[in-house]
Amino acid sequence: MYSGIVAMALVALSVVVLLYALHRAAVITAEPLTVLPAQSGWMPQEHALSRFHARWYLASIVFLAFDVEMLFMYPWAVVVIEKGISAVVEMFLFLGALLVAVAWAWREGAFRWA
Amino acid sequence: MAESVVTTVPGGWAVLAGILLCGLAFFAVALDAALSARAQGTGGGWGAPLGRAARLLRQRRRSTVAADTLLWRIGGAGMLVGAFLMIAVIPLGEWTLADLDVGVVWFNTVDVMVWALVWLAGWGANSAHGLVGGYRFLAHGLAYELPLMFALVAPAIAAGSLAVGDVAAAQDGVWFVVWMPVAFLVFLIGVTGFSVWGPFAPALAADIGGGVLAELSGVDRLVLQAGRYLFLTAGAAFSVPLFLGGGAGPVLPGWAWVLVKTVAVLAVLVWLRRKLPLLRPDRFMEIGWMVLLPAAVLQDLVVSLVVVWKG
Amino acid sequence: MGLSGALARLAVRATRVLVVEVPGHWATRMEVEHQLLRRGWRPAWTPADADVLAVCGAPGPELSELVDRLWEQMPGPRVRADITSPGTVGSALDAAAALLLDTPHHRTDAQERAQEPEIPEDADHGGHGGMDHGEMDHGEMDHGGHGGHGGMDMAPEGIPLAEGGEDRDGLEMDVLHLPLGPVLPFWPAGLVLRCSLQGDVVVNAEASMVDGRNDDEDDGAGAAGPSAGPAPAAVVRCDQVMALLALAGVEDAAACARRARDALLCGDEDAARDAVERLDRTVRRSWLLRSSLRGVLLLDRAGLERHGLPGHCRGDAHDRLLSRVERIRAEAGGTEPTPAEDGGVPWAVVPDLVTGLELGSVRLAVASLDLDPHPAVQAVGHG
Repeated sequence: MYSGIVAMALVALSVVVLLYALHRAAVITAEPLTVLPAQSGWMPQEHALSRFHARWYLASIVFLAFDVEMLFMYPWAVVVIEKGISAVVEMFLFLGALLVAVAWAWREGAFRWA
Repeated sequence: MAESVVTTVPGGWAVLAGILLCGLAFFAVALDAALSARAQGTGGGWGAPLGRAARLLRQRRRSTVAADTLLWRIGGAGMLVGAFLMIAVIPLGEWTLADLDVGVVWFNTVDVMVWALVWLAGWGANSAHGLVGGYRFLAHGLAYELPLMFALVAPAIAAGSLAVGDVAAAQDGVWFVVWMPVAFLVFLIGVTGFSVWGPFAPALAADIGGGVLAELSGVDRLVLQAGRYLFLTAGAAFSVPLFLGGGAGPVLPGWAWVLVKTVAVLAVLVWLRRKLPLLRPDRFMEIGWMVLLPAAVLQDLVVSLVVVWKG
Repeated sequence: MGLSGALARLAVRATRVLVVEVPGHWATRMEVEHQLLRRGWRPAWTPADADVLAVCGAPGPELSELVDRLWEQMPGPRVRADITSPGTVGSALDAAAALLLDTPHHRTDAQERAQEPEIPEDADHGGHGGMDHGEMDHGEMDHGGHGGHGGMDMAPEGIPLAEGGEDRDGLEMDVLHLPLGPVLPFWPAGLVLRCSLQGDVVVNAEASMVDGRNDDEDDGAGAAGPSAGPAPAAVVRCDQVMALLALAGVEDAAACARRARDALLCGDEDAARDAVERLDRTVRRSWLLRSSLRGVLLLDRAGLERHGLPGHCRGDAHDRLLSRVERIRAEAGGTEPTPAEDGGVPWAVVPDLVTGLELGSVRLAVASLDLDPHPAVQAVGHG
């Protein structure tokens, strides 16, 4: 069942290898050049790799909470016809509760960070 | 799945699938270049993809001081590989490479991988522009990913299956796009999102000097850029079995209809890009959570009520 | 050789040009932009993506140093074109295209150039002592000032690591220093905005002009080459509108503004009027554009007074965009002589205006203002 995926991955990897090989053949010099990061020509004052202030971390927490829910959603989608209306009611009560939580998070400003 | 509606072909056909994917992506680049040339009043542009590829193949690679090169290159090449993985589950008419029970989830898995790839490509360069770009993409991802997942679920509910072939086959009479337009729209927004493309390109925007792309040259830049267009193509192709009836259509064989529909979706996406401004991550966060997400959930509710009603 | 020659010819059709504008040489820059698009070339945003470095005008000592460093950052094949007047743009670009085809030359260049950047042992990184804000440097770590960071771990490859500083919520966050300009796409020529960033928020900024132009002594480009003189106000405004639209990401509208600008510049009044009308329609109709520019640098009456800004800056970036397009229409239509503008925005106030904004908003905010270093400064009210 997964042989197709493996084959596709092999094709993709060979495309990458082919491109790099083509580049090696066509480029003016295969050796990469080392340069300073682009800052309009100024010398960098420090390395850019640093603790970045991700101001949307609240949103990412809400995302995680909601994302776990997708674990239930996919299997549920397959059986909803079988199980009938009760499955629909249960799932959407659950989703409704989550959406209320999202609305609350929104009111608290979790999605505003500019 | 006891019996499948599609025939799984041997792995060797992956080469053909890859060629088709590249051909369609090439079309997308050419169309974009032609539209750009027309807007600038210069005409031409159809040959641009060849020229751009040749330029990057001839250009020297570069690295920045103290760059995290391994992660940086994984981010770039991963974009190209990811798009190929995505199309493995898309049936071309009656044939498919991998008839997974969970094809829709597979699509979802690959598109979430993009989060890591784009961020790595931004982080690895050790450049402030790339760093800001990478985090901009993550902020976008937080807002488009959940609505996209719910949009993916809608066709699966209606078909009662997560196998892409079954979803396509379930649209015998009416295409899903007709009665789940919201899910279709949200899906397309998600596709442009994980392609870091059009309105979702602030991670690569001019205001931060190209962001994630700011330090890339040569073939490293080529694989990342190609990966974005391949992802856009793969996403457009995935909308066909999910919402547009798969290979259904008069006269032409199924595989031809899949290609025709893919080209149509792709062309619309490429054309729209030039008309739409960038969606700033801080503004889109609220739109994603407070408009798209409830809309997609409501769409799922409507779809599940309809299927339960019908039987 | 045939194959690599064919590849080179193909590649040159997609050439990307990094355009450097020496303040005052707007006419050359616009001509370069016009001509490279006609060749099917495109501007590059960073040296990584550039094949040609087009320097418009003769840079002063400070800008020269920056341009040299940008030149070192270009991957190659690379060609530098020094263009001093609009008239020589065509031949300079022709020469650049010809040199780009010369593969042996670029192979030699790639071998002979420095393979690694030169990082001064104990340089004042960024070359500006005034940048070390006292309040940023109170971290517990001893960094010994930028004069002599001897600690090996503190400065891998000769560049220090980022240090913490308090953010607006009192959390300690790393501070990055990122100078914006003078070589940045869609950025006012010559302006340098040294930003301290926490995440993508500008927590501190200082503005200056490269080579100290706008100081009393005119040492820089003015002496070094023929400046093109004041630009027609409508052309400048079109250029600013193009920059703002390009930064907002509406490419078709930005292209339209660019065409209007070039038509105005070469005196093609009918084409200009058409393009401006189309621009006006596009800008007004796009609610997505409005939603992305709404609220960016909102200035009310009190804000204008506090910063000493002219009245036409009132509102947010979208208001300023609309009023600018309106003025262009009036000027291009030539129906009535437009009243003189009540002055531009002095660049010195930019830091006050943008501190606390996120980087994308900073770019939109700057592009939405008529900054004074722009060549239009002498042209204001030309009628």
